[in-house]
Amino acid sequence: MARLIKTEKEVEGRYTEQWVVVDEDALEQWPAGARDTVGRPAPRQDGFQRARGEAQYTADIQLPGMLHAAILRSPFARAQIREIDLRMAEKAPGVRGVLGPGTGPLTDEPAYQGAPVAAVAADTDEQARAAMRLIEVEWEQLDPLLDPDEAVRRNELVEEPNHDERGDIERGLAEADVVVAAEYRTQSVLHNSMETHQSICQWEGDDHLTVYISTQFVWGVRERVAKHFGLPTDHVRVVCRFMGGGFGSKNGPGDYTFVGAELARRTGRPVKAALTRREENLDAGNRNATIQRLRIGARSDGTLTLLDGEFVNSTGWDGWLASTGGPMRMLYACENVRTVEYAAKLNTPPMLAFRAPGFVEGTFGLECLMDELAAELDLDPLELRRRNYAQHDAMDERPFSSKNLLECYRRAEPHWERREAVRRSSDGTWKRGVGLASQVWYGGGGPPSYAWVRVGADARATVVTAMQDIGTGSATAMAQIAAEELGLPIDHVEVSLGDTARGPYATISAGSSTIPSMGPAVRSAAADAARQIIEIAAQRHDREQRSLSLKGGRIVCSDGGSWPLEEITCLLESGQILGQGSRGPNPAGMRILTFGVQVAEVAVDVETGEVRVDKIAAIHDVGRVINPLGASSQVEGGIIQGLGHTLSEERLIDPATGTILTQTLDAYKLPTIADVPEIVTDLVDEPDTHLTNLGSKGLGEPPIVPTAAAIANAIRDATGANVRSLPISREEMLRALREASEREQVGASAT
Amino acid sequence: MPLLRDRIVDATTLVDVRAVVPRGIDGTRIGAGTTLGELEVDPQIPHALREACRLAASPQLRAMGTIGGNLLQSTRCWYWRLKYPCWLHGGDRCFARAGVHREHAVFANTPCASAHPSDPAAALLALDVTLRTDRRELPLADLYRLPTDDDREMTTLEPGELILELDVPAPEASTYLKAMDRRLFTFALVGVATARTSGGTRIALSGMAPIPWLLDGEEALDTATPLPQNAYKLEIARALIRRALAEVSA
Repeated sequence: MARLIKTEKEVEGRYTEQWVVVDEDALEQWPAGARDTVGRPAPRQDGFQRARGEAQYTADIQLPGMLHAAILRSPFARAQIREIDLRMAEKAPGVRGVLGPGTGPLTDEPAYQGAPVAAVAADTDEQARAAMRLIEVEWEQLDPLLDPDEAVRRNELVEEPNHDERGDIERGLAEADVVVAAEYRTQSVLHNSMETHQSICQWEGDDHLTVYISTQFVWGVRERVAKHFGLPTDHVRVVCRFMGGGFGSKNGPGDYTFVGAELARRTGRPVKAALTRREENLDAGNRNATIQRLRIGARSDGTLTLLDGEFVNSTGWDGWLASTGGPMRMLYACENVRTVEYAAKLNTPPMLAFRAPGFVEGTFGLECLMDELAAELDLDPLELRRRNYAQHDAMDERPFSSKNLLECYRRAEPHWERREAVRRSSDGTWKRGVGLASQVWYGGGGPPSYAWVRVGADARATVVTAMQDIGTGSATAMAQIAAEELGLPIDHVEVSLGDTARGPYATISAGSSTIPSMGPAVRSAAADAARQIIEIAAQRHDREQRSLSLKGGRIVCSDGGSWPLEEITCLLESGQILGQGSRGPNPAGMRILTFGVQVAEVAVDVETGEVRVDKIAAIHDVGRVINPLGASSQVEGGIIQGLGHTLSEERLIDPATGTILTQTLDAYKLPTIADVPEIVTDLVDEPDTHLTNLGSKGLGEPPIVPTAAAIANAIRDATGANVRSLPISREEMLRALREASEREQVGASAT
Repeated sequence: MPLLRDRIVDATTLVDVRAVVPRGIDGTRIGAGTTLGELEVDPQIPHALREACRLAASPQLRAMGTIGGNLLQSTRCWYWRLKYPCWLHGGDRCFARAGVHREHAVFANTPCASAHPSDPAAALLALDVTLRTDRRELPLADLYRLPTDDDREMTTLEPGELILELDVPAPEASTYLKAMDRRLFTFALVGVATARTSGGTRIALSGMAPIPWLLDGEEALDTATPLPQNAYKLEIARALIRRALAEVSA
C-alpha cells in the first residue's frame, strides 16, 4: 500500500524535510556475503562499447540541422556593461541567432569572470565563435571583492552563517591537559570532467522540448527547464545515455542549457551548447577554497574534551555553504563541540558540489589536527582515534543504522604496523613514513525512486528506469541486482536508462545515492516480476507457489522438479511480465553514514620538497557491496582525484583582478598515471540491516574524503613537518620542513 | 599551434618546413627536425640531452615535437598566454611580478619575470652546442637574448631564418635533473643540466630565467633575485646542482 510519510532527504550532506509517498519495503534482506551474482565481480556491461568508442555521449550527438552556440563571457571579475553592440555578430557568416544581456541567465552586470553575457548560434562551432568575437562591448570595470575574511567582516555572504554548538567550550578548555590550535587552508579545485558541460536542445512545436545533456540528474534538468519555459513537465524530455564525468558539477541544467534552449526556440533548429575546456575551467563550478581555524583539546589519556572550528568558505558569487565543519561535528565522541561556518560571497565563479563537498576539506583540517594532538600527547594516532570512537550520532543522539569503523581500524592494522619498517627504509634525502585518516560521510540515499522490470518470452529481463549512469558502473550493479532476484545469469539482463520519456523517476546521481536509492527499487521490481512468474509456473505445473523459486535461469521446485524459465515465459508469446518497484523509506530516527580509514605511505625528498605517494590502503564500510570490481574502481578513482587535490591541483586567481590564471590543463595540474600509487581496496561488505532491502550504502564519495589528511599525516610521520595548506606543493613542503627544523632548534636550545 | 589557436600569433599561411630541415642523427650532428622521441632513445646522444628529452612533455608530444621547434618555445607565463597587456606583449608592466609568479623566473626577472620552459635548451646550453641556420653558425647561447625595452624578442633569429642543424660535442659526462609539480608531463619548476668536458663543467638552468640560463658556478645562485612566491626554486636548484655536479664529477 502506498504510504505518505515525512522524511529527511539528504543529498551531499544537505538535509531537507519532505513528504514522500512510499511503498512498503516488504522484502527481507539477503543474508550477508556473496550471492550468485550480487557480491561477485562483474565487468561493466557497456565496457566494450565505451572502449571501442561506440558509446554515444552527448558530445557525440549530431542532429540534422543542428546549430552551435558560443557564449560570450565576462573577461572581468566584476564589471558593468555600458554598451553592447550585437549587429556585427548578427551579420556574420552562418549566424542564425544572437542573444544579449537580459535574456535568461545573460547579464550586463557580470560578478565573476566567465559569467555569461551574450550568445550566438551559427551553422558551425567556428562560425559561432568567430561571430561571438565580433560582439562589441564597452565595459566599466569595477573592483572585485576577493578576500574571504574581508567578505565575512562585511557580512557579504551567500547564505547565513551556520553556528552549531553542543556542550560547553569553556568547560572543554578547562578539562583539557593539552590544547592544540592550528590554521589549515585548502585551495579551490576544478572538476575538469573529460566531457565538458554541454547540451543539445530541440523543440517540437512551441510546447515540447527535448534536451540531450551530460548530466547527473535527468529529472532535475527536466523540472528546472520546464519551469523556466513555463512548460508542463511531461512536455520536456531529458536524455543522458552515456556520461563523461560530473563529480557534482552536473547536477543541474546550467546556464548553457537555458541559453541553448532559447536559441533553439528562436531559430527553430536544434542547438548544441558545449563548453570549451577553458570555459570548463571558468564557469563549470569548483570545490571552494577554505580557511579553517581549529582548536582541539584532550586529557592526557587522549579523551577529547573540545573541538572548536571556524570555517571560512570562499563560496564565490553563488552556491551554498558546504559543510566544512561536518567531520568535526560527526567523526568523534566529544562532548564540547563548536563549529561556525561562513559562505563568503566573492567575485569568483560559483562553487558547485564536488565529490563530498565540505567533508574533503574539513577532514583534511580535522584529521591533521588529530595527528598534531597525537604527537603532543605522544599517543599512537590510531589509538587516539579508537579512544574517541563515536558510538552514536552525538549531534542529535541518534543511533547509527550501522557502523563498522572499528572493523575498518582493525583491518588497517597490518598497513599501519608497517610504520617502523617504512621509516627505516628512509634513504639519503628521502624520508619515508606512514599516516592515516578516518572518513565519515553520508551515502544512505532515500526515496523516491522507481524501477520497472520487464521479462519477455525469451526469458530475458530488462530493467527500465530513468536513472543515469554517470560513469560509475551503476547500471551494471542494477543488472546484477535484478539478475540475482530473478535467478538469471547477468548476461540475460539489460538496463534501459537515461531518458525521462522511457522509464520512471529515479534518483539524482550525487551524494553517493545511486546504489542505495535505486538498488532497492530495482530489487523490488524484480521481486514483483519473479512473484508473477512463480504464480504462472505454479498454475502451469500444478505446484504450490511457496514450493517454487527461481535459480540459474530455471524454475526450481522443492520437490526436486525444475523447468527452464523460458518454458513458462514462452507461454506469453508477445506478452510480458511487468514488475514494478520503488525505494522504501529510510529507517526512522537513525543516522545513516559511511565510514572508513585510509593508510598512506609516502616518501619526501627533504632537500627538494618532492612528495611521492607510494601506497594507499583504503578500508571503507559502505554496507553490502554489489559489485566488488566496480567498487574497487570507484575507490581508485576517488583516491586519484584526492591525490590531485592533495599534491598538484589548484585554480590560481590573479589577486588584483580576480581573473583565473589556470584555464588550461597545462597550468591546472591534474595527476598523471605516473603519479598514481599502489592502491589496496578493502571493503567491509557488511549489510546495514536497517537500511532497505539491500543494506547497501553509496561509495562514490567516501574514498576521496580522507586521502589528503592520510598523505599529510604520513608526511608528518616521515619528516616531522606539519603541512597545513593544500596543495602540498614544493613550496609548502619546503616551508613546513623549514618550520619543523626551526621548531627543533628552539626545542634543542630550550633543553 | 596553441599560439595560433589562442590568437597570440596571427598567421594566414602555414609553411611546412619538413622538406628543408634535416632530420636524423649523424655522429655529433643532429638535424633540427629530429624529434625528442628519437633523441631520448639514441645511445649516441649525450645523457643530459636524452634525459631532458625523456623528462619533457608526453610520449605523444615527443613523437611529434622536434628539437629545433623546442628551442623556440614561448614562455608558459599565464599572463602572457592569456594575453594580458603585459610588458612582453608590448605593454608597460609585468603582471606576474605583482601577481601569481610561483612558476616564474628568479634570474633577470625584470622587467619581465617569464620563465623559459625548454628542458632540452638547458641541456644543449650546458653541452655548449653550436647551431647552424640557413645563414650562419652560432653558439646556442647566442640564439637567446634578454629582451629590452627597445627589442622584446627573446631570440636573435632574423625573420625567415631557420635552424637546420645542431652540433653537439660529446662531453666526458653530462646529466639533466628536473623538479616538477607532478611526476611527468609538466614544465620544469627547476631544470638543471651539467656537462663536464676537458675545459671544465658547465651548469645551465631551465625554468629559472626568461631564457635558458648559463650559471657561472654554483655560487652564482646567490645573485638571483627571487620574488615572494618563488624563492623555493633556489632551494631546489641548490640541491639539484649539487646532485648534478656529483653525477658528472670525474
